[in-house]
Amino acid sequence: MGLKQLIELRINGEVREVVVEPRTTLLHALREDLGLTGTKEGCNEGDCGACTVLANGRPVCSCLTLAIEAQGKEIITIEGLDQDGRLHPLQQAFLDHFAVQCGFCTPGMLLSAKALLDRKPQPTEEEVREAISGNLCRCTGYVKIVEAILAEAHRR
Amino acid sequence: MTELSVVGKDVPRVDGLEKVTGKAKYSVDIKLPGMLYGKVLRSPYPHARIVGIDASGAEKLAKVKGVVTGKDAPEERVGHIRDRHILARGKVRFVGEAVAAVAAESLEAAEEALDLIKVDYEELPAVFDAEEAMRPNVPVVHPDLLQYALSPLPYPLYRFDSERPNVYVHRPIRKGDTGKGFEASDLILENRFSTPMVQHSCLELHNAIAVPEADGGLTVWDSTHVLHMHKADLCRLFRLPPSKVRVRSLYIGGCFGGKAGMVVPGIASLLALRTRRPVKFVLSRDEVFVDGTSRESMTITMKDGVRKDGTLLAREMRLVLNAGAYSGTTALVTKNATFGAVGSYRIPNFKLDSYGVATNTPPTGAFRGFGSTEVLWAVESQMDLLAEALGIDPLEIRRKNLLKEGEEDVLGMKTTSTGARECLEKVAEWLEWNKEPSKGEGPWKRGKGIAVGSKYTMPATRSVVTVKVHQDAAVEVRHSAHEVGQGCNTALAQIAAEEFGVSIDKIRIVFTDTAVTPFDAGTVSSRTTFHTGNALRLACQDLKRRIFELASERLDLRPEDLSLREGVISSNGGHKTMKISDLFAPIGFLLKGGELSASGTFTGPLEHEDADTGQGKRPVTYYAYGANAVEVMVNEETGEVRVVRNGTCFDMGRPIHPKLCEGQMEGGLAMGIGGALYEEMVLAEGEVLNSNFMDYKCPSSLDVPKCGDVKSMIAAVPHQEGPYGAKGFSEGGLVAVAPAIANAIFRATGARIRDLPISKEKVLKALKSISGKEADMK
Repeated sequence: MGLKQLIELRINGEVREVVVEPRTTLLHALREDLGLTGTKEGCNEGDCGACTVLANGRPVCSCLTLAIEAQGKEIITIEGLDQDGRLHPLQQAFLDHFAVQCGFCTPGMLLSAKALLDRKPQPTEEEVREAISGNLCRCTGYVKIVEAILAEAHRR
Repeated sequence: MTELSVVGKDVPRVDGLEKVTGKAKYSVDIKLPGMLYGKVLRSPYPHARIVGIDASGAEKLAKVKGVVTGKDAPEERVGHIRDRHILARGKVRFVGEAVAAVAAESLEAAEEALDLIKVDYEELPAVFDAEEAMRPNVPVVHPDLLQYALSPLPYPLYRFDSERPNVYVHRPIRKGDTGKGFEASDLILENRFSTPMVQHSCLELHNAIAVPEADGGLTVWDSTHVLHMHKADLCRLFRLPPSKVRVRSLYIGGCFGGKAGMVVPGIASLLALRTRRPVKFVLSRDEVFVDGTSRESMTITMKDGVRKDGTLLAREMRLVLNAGAYSGTTALVTKNATFGAVGSYRIPNFKLDSYGVATNTPPTGAFRGFGSTEVLWAVESQMDLLAEALGIDPLEIRRKNLLKEGEEDVLGMKTTSTGARECLEKVAEWLEWNKEPSKGEGPWKRGKGIAVGSKYTMPATRSVVTVKVHQDAAVEVRHSAHEVGQGCNTALAQIAAEEFGVSIDKIRIVFTDTAVTPFDAGTVSSRTTFHTGNALRLACQDLKRRIFELASERLDLRPEDLSLREGVISSNGGHKTMKISDLFAPIGFLLKGGELSASGTFTGPLEHEDADTGQGKRPVTYYAYGANAVEVMVNEETGEVRVVRNGTCFDMGRPIHPKLCEGQMEGGLAMGIGGALYEEMVLAEGEVLNSNFMDYKCPSSLDVPKCGDVKSMIAAVPHQEGPYGAKGFSEGGLVAVAPAIANAIFRATGARIRDLPISKEKVLKALKSISGKEADMK
């Protein structure tokens, strides 16, 4: 157990204060302290991607990121994807293509997809599969998820 | 099938918006004031007597508010065979069994507390292998088996054998005379197949939050798929009246049958009642592997007698299920797995024995398919082995033996609503079965394989649904089926929308809260659309009758001359109308009567079943029938297998929502690829060695074929008892995948693997033995 400290994190464009220990993960800080439960815990070991958030635009496992490490970075969680009630086109694509079943992998999946399309607007199917290969889904078999991401890429 | 307005259409999921925005809540997301965190101490031994536990060190920690051990746990046991205490009492029977639990103000404090609990064990001899456990003079896992209470079931299940004290269920099927059948056969073929322990790997970890109520009762937020079963068990365990126990489920982050166990909500409740504070108990990922009721390992031996034209004359099967230390739902799997052996083919002489065996390994339970996946692994591999031995096409041998509409199956049940044949033809056609696969490059060989699947839905289960119509003509459906991702909330909303002639956005769904939503047997066995859907239809029809009675007085017409559409009640000619809202006073009360609500109850059929032969007119409620046709690439240098094309076709009766059905076929494909090629829980001396996602490989997006190479098809044959002709579906998407892959590998390379998973090593070994044989023959 270490000394608790008050830190500032930039989450979805807002500055949020949170008290953490050095060992507190970003995942834990988001879910327990900031009430942002959209980011999910699937394994707490970096193997499933359910905890994916974007740190300066790159997808990271928040369970492998310390909260103190996240200082000074722009963190985007699923809660930051829709703006003023308007869905991000990827979210709409997931709905249109029935790419959601239980929904537990969905936040992480959407953020990995956003990171891909932000850096490569016209990916091949192979590149899409590669980009989400760290996001485990047990329900959908990935087919409609890949279709949704490709459809959004083609729409742009 | 008649065209309908909402049913049969691909409407947007009613829970979609919540789920894509991260607003959807799962019980694991809940945080309550004063909430404590639970953690459990687990046994390092597979079989041991608990000599003593000293928890004083843990109790002294300031942040620890409660510590419980077996002596504090309920004496009542859980499971179909009531063989398990939620905290071990006196003995541990598997590595990982919970022996103590703490509730603390933080997870870290709880973990620290566990380290301070000292347990004294006296090791006992253990047994790990199911076949060994069936022999005499081996360690007995449950010496008191014959004294355990049994949960009541309306059909035969329990059968103990005093000569084999580790066998707790034996399910026999007998038809005709297999001896005579073999005599008349041109070929007899025997094979042994096996499936390993596998884990559902739902993304949402098992969790429950228990809240002690001021009146001595309990509220539990439960990540499960059997709400009312859990409520009943909680009442029994903690001796609380049903009116004082409330169980609620939110969205479930996947279940696949894995969240039926009582240990997680039981321990949360025990700690909550003890500390008088809310307690949240979440399993870690490795705990889910060990104590999340993974799927049992199974060996299946088969002996077939066939005519040289491929007609099956006799089949004998022996299933041995390694159920682990506590039987859980595997007691029922031992029986129901056998439906996978009888649903598809015409077999005049049949003998099967299925044994559920206790060993000192992690307890097991239901897993998508409920035994059909394992049994079909054997049956559909065997069909290809027969085809090979006879020189017949695998498609042809299946065509020859598939049950036709109206024929009796092995158990004596008449085959109705079967699209099996059409499904088989459709996948074969899509994969271009008669066309040779393209030649592989370099060390890669390509091959096509096919398999037939069936998935039964168990008999005699009940669903109750309440419907309410609001002043604004919105329809509220209250039901206790779990939205686990399959889309039941959407399908039920569609049914309600169809019944009331409204668009789907006028439907409100209230789900899985025992204070509000009536009894449902649970989201199991692909039963929800049929049973909960039928109950919903009955409720809707009853409510419409009431509405028409009220309206008929106002309109001066007979109720039977009225119809309802979009909140407007009108005469059949249309000249007289009134709105639903006209039945209410502006301030909101119904002008006549209390509320516009009604309930419907639907119970699945139950017919007599012979305990010794399994014969019965209706041992299952219905089957969904289907097939998979798959093309694989096999690398003859590395043994790697890639699934490159897959066609699945299923008959689930009229699809309420075709895209949701596709989703089940696609999800089943991925899970099937995992089971076929990668997934295996590895145990040594009863301990799970690979209880994490690095060492236990679930398929990723890289392991399934490209989108254009996956085809999911529906060949619906309406079932006259189902809502709008629907049956049930979701498990079926999994059951035929692995044998189709194994058959394709064989046709590509000649390598036949009988033991899942089909690892690279097994492929290479099989290839080596083929080339060894070829070398010998030269």
